[in-house]
Amino acid sequence: MQVIEADVIIVGAGGAGLRTAIAVAEADPKLSIALLSKVYPMRSHTCAAEGGAAGVIKSNDNLEYHFHDTVSGGDWLTDQDAVDLFVNEIPKELLRMEHWGCPWSRETSGNVAVRPFGGMKIMRTWFAADKTGFHMLHTLFQTSIKYPSVKRFDEYYTVDLLTDDGACYGCTAIEMRTGQMRQFRGKAIVICSGGAGKIFPFTTNGAVKTGDGMAMAYRAGVPLKDMEFVQYHPTGLPGSGILLTEACRGEGGYLLNKDGYRYLQDYGLGPETPTPVLKAMELGPRDQLSQAFWHEQKKGRTIPTKWGDVVHLDLRHLGEKKIDERLPLIRELSAKYVDSDPVTTLVPVRPVVHYMMGGIHTDIHAATPLNGLYAAGECACVSINGANRLGSNSLGELLVFGARAGRGAAEYAKKGLTAPSERLDALAADSEARVKAWFQRTQATDRVPDLKKRLTTAMEDGCGIYRDEATIKAACDIIVDVRERFKNVALEDKSSVYNTDLYQTLEMDAMIEVAQTVAVSALERRESRGAHQRLDHVKRDDEAFLKHSMAHYNPNGEPRIDYLDVVITKSKPAERVYGARAGGQSAA
Amino acid sequence: MNPRKPYVRPISKTSWFMTQSRYKVYMLHEISSLFVAIYSAILIIGLVRLGEGEAAWQGWLDAVTSPIGVIFHLIAFVFALIHTTSWFKAVPQAMRIQRGEEIVPGKLIVGAHYGVLAAVSLFVLILAGVA
Amino acid sequence: MSERTIELEVLRYRPEQDQEPFFQTYKVPCEEEWVVLDALNYVKEEMDRTLSYRWSCHMFVCGSCGMMIDGEPKLACKAFLKDYPTGKIRVEPLSNFPIERDLVVVLDDFVEKLESVKPYIIPKEERTVEQGEYLQTPAQLKAFKQYTLCINCLCCYAVCPQYGLDESFVGPAALALAHRYNMDSRDLGRAARDDVVAAAEGIWHCSFVGACSQVCPKDVDPAGAIQQAKFAHGIDYLTSFLPGGKR
Repeated sequence: MQVIEADVIIVGAGGAGLRTAIAVAEADPKLSIALLSKVYPMRSHTCAAEGGAAGVIKSNDNLEYHFHDTVSGGDWLTDQDAVDLFVNEIPKELLRMEHWGCPWSRETSGNVAVRPFGGMKIMRTWFAADKTGFHMLHTLFQTSIKYPSVKRFDEYYTVDLLTDDGACYGCTAIEMRTGQMRQFRGKAIVICSGGAGKIFPFTTNGAVKTGDGMAMAYRAGVPLKDMEFVQYHPTGLPGSGILLTEACRGEGGYLLNKDGYRYLQDYGLGPETPTPVLKAMELGPRDQLSQAFWHEQKKGRTIPTKWGDVVHLDLRHLGEKKIDERLPLIRELSAKYVDSDPVTTLVPVRPVVHYMMGGIHTDIHAATPLNGLYAAGECACVSINGANRLGSNSLGELLVFGARAGRGAAEYAKKGLTAPSERLDALAADSEARVKAWFQRTQATDRVPDLKKRLTTAMEDGCGIYRDEATIKAACDIIVDVRERFKNVALEDKSSVYNTDLYQTLEMDAMIEVAQTVAVSALERRESRGAHQRLDHVKRDDEAFLKHSMAHYNPNGEPRIDYLDVVITKSKPAERVYGARAGGQSAA
Repeated sequence: MNPRKPYVRPISKTSWFMTQSRYKVYMLHEISSLFVAIYSAILIIGLVRLGEGEAAWQGWLDAVTSPIGVIFHLIAFVFALIHTTSWFKAVPQAMRIQRGEEIVPGKLIVGAHYGVLAAVSLFVLILAGVA
Repeated sequence: MSERTIELEVLRYRPEQDQEPFFQTYKVPCEEEWVVLDALNYVKEEMDRTLSYRWSCHMFVCGSCGMMIDGEPKLACKAFLKDYPTGKIRVEPLSNFPIERDLVVVLDDFVEKLESVKPYIIPKEERTVEQGEYLQTPAQLKAFKQYTLCINCLCCYAVCPQYGLDESFVGPAALALAHRYNMDSRDLGRAARDDVVAAAEGIWHCSFVGACSQVCPKDVDPAGAIQQAKFAHGIDYLTSFLPGGKR
């Protein structure tokens, strides 16, 4: 097997991976960097982020406000030391993006413009129309080209980490166009592989988001933290699950039930106002908005369609000019996919799985408990998002913690620690054998697409917006069954060149691991907090559960869950306040 | 062993433009310039003949008003129209005019070109005593 | 549940067993609202695990699923079945690129070209984070914004006859990207980019067929960008003859 050596190996070339690569290159141009991704960088799912990135820059704002919005938005499950440095470092990161050419939308003065976003007390979300993630991704990708030490390995599918005695020394990856496995040896490894929305059937996430990196770290012994917290975005298009950005509501859009009534006022988010007020009504946090939909559905006040029940997003009063300037992609997507031009028509929407708050456990330096292994972006859990992420905090997160991971990995790589090469060769051979086994099996009793359907349906049924003991247990049982049956699948495509049957099978392998951590963590958390709502435990229980769930890999069965204290510095857990009492700024 | 074997689909160097209607339109535009060029050359020859005296000038006049001359000019006129309209259509792409935050609409730029064309043509026709 | 069956003719090429590409037809039961990508996904999941193609976002922004659909380069996620009433759809890999396998093409050449045009800010003045942002008015943003919208789907290369005939041509998307940075008020890198952009294989190789702009799913207008770049170079050339002009 060919061995490729680099000082720092980065797995994933989306926003976080590219930011990490640039940070390593800037920290020390002499360090060699291998940037691996199963897709070309511009295909990464950062490109689908629409609304913006929050960062304090305006004179009416301050870091404390952003801190408190984030902590209470996360229902106090956030680590406050992490949030503190996060809100502090974001504005600098966003300015760096500006210097690198990101086409931020502007005020007439030429300063960067900001827009309102859900759960934020002050307008602080930087944006590039409604394609912020796309522009950030392309800016980072194009800027990364400037650094000669960044060597990309596009379309390399990373399979396993190479770990020895509590430290990580590299990974194995398959060059997708030849089907040949390579051994990558590095002095520090950073995982930036994104989330795992594809473990659900109805998601805004692209095909690539199958939790590969999470599963890899998990199998290598790194706990996955707070996996039960899965964000439902309140406004996805029915059928396709395409995201309609929160900026639709930030710009003044309404959510209406079947009676044309702005129902959010019935759920502690009112009173309704014609123009948006921050932290109220449609600018409440995503968890509460998605939960309100669920209640409306139970009351029979949603609209039934072929693709499930919906409510309506009303943007008509914003006018064509504003929609074209601020929400052009939304207009195009709505018109094409659901035949509804938001300028003249109500757009059907429903909650859709969007983001994993949980992920690979890291400290504030983006380091995992495994020496030499770092993680950043959606695949990681630092944690700044707690039980519910505020919209426009994830793009900031990938910059801040991508940069931190890069600096940390660069520093660590300089130690030059390595493992005996015979040991790494043996680990790589094991990894290759694991892949070869898929090719060798001939008798298949189950098919990957069928198992995937079974798994994702179980997740939706058991780990949806509201959960209870019985539904989660049912999901857990199905996952155990799927895991068992998965041992009996065989590849139908045995070829080497760009064998997508193989990669979908490897992705399924990762999805089973990740889904199991979500379900089992959800089962064990017997309280309701943020995005984790239990019908059988409706109250938040700080006594027992003001703690991070840590799911540890157990090769013989379901993950072992234990708990880690939340870091609380200055904000004592309290009631989350939205609506009139929240004192949000008017966003008119 | 490397199992790759990328396949390159052949493209005809001589008939590629027959594969899509937009390529045919492009070729028509390119060919039209040939006729515009020949027409211009004839015109220049006319000027030279004019300088060589009345007989030479009359010979040139006879040639262009002969049936073949007239047919050529009719064809050249059609191609000149194709040439003109296709260029005018493309102008807004090459000539992007921004006023403040607005891009001047392409229709306006194309319209202005036709306006100038009409004005110049009228001027020439008046000069020639036709209009 | 299915409302309609379409015939999907897909150009297959499996390098390990095929000498050359061939068409394979799948009869796919489809929903009314589907796009071609949904039909391909149906084939992959229910009919033929060996079919390979690229896709991810399903919302016109990642640029993975560019392919020839009935001879036109399109995003498979933006090609709605309702726009193909005959029920017969022919799907091929992007023209003008070598086929790696099935609908997957080799992108190395494009990626090299994109990298060659120095697609990053070469600043007028270095600025520290403490100095805050460069001021850029909405009008200055407007001057290049359209050219930032390229998703690198390569539909433009697939329809460009100049690229098809001679792959040394830098091509529409890469040249439009260079223009994007040249037009950015924060940038002063045009001269540095000209090595590639103003070379014979750069803007001067373009004969303004204009097909790239016609097929662009994001309305980037690469043809326009290239003509504007030519115009700017023409002006530079002419002014170089003026007193004090740089030749």
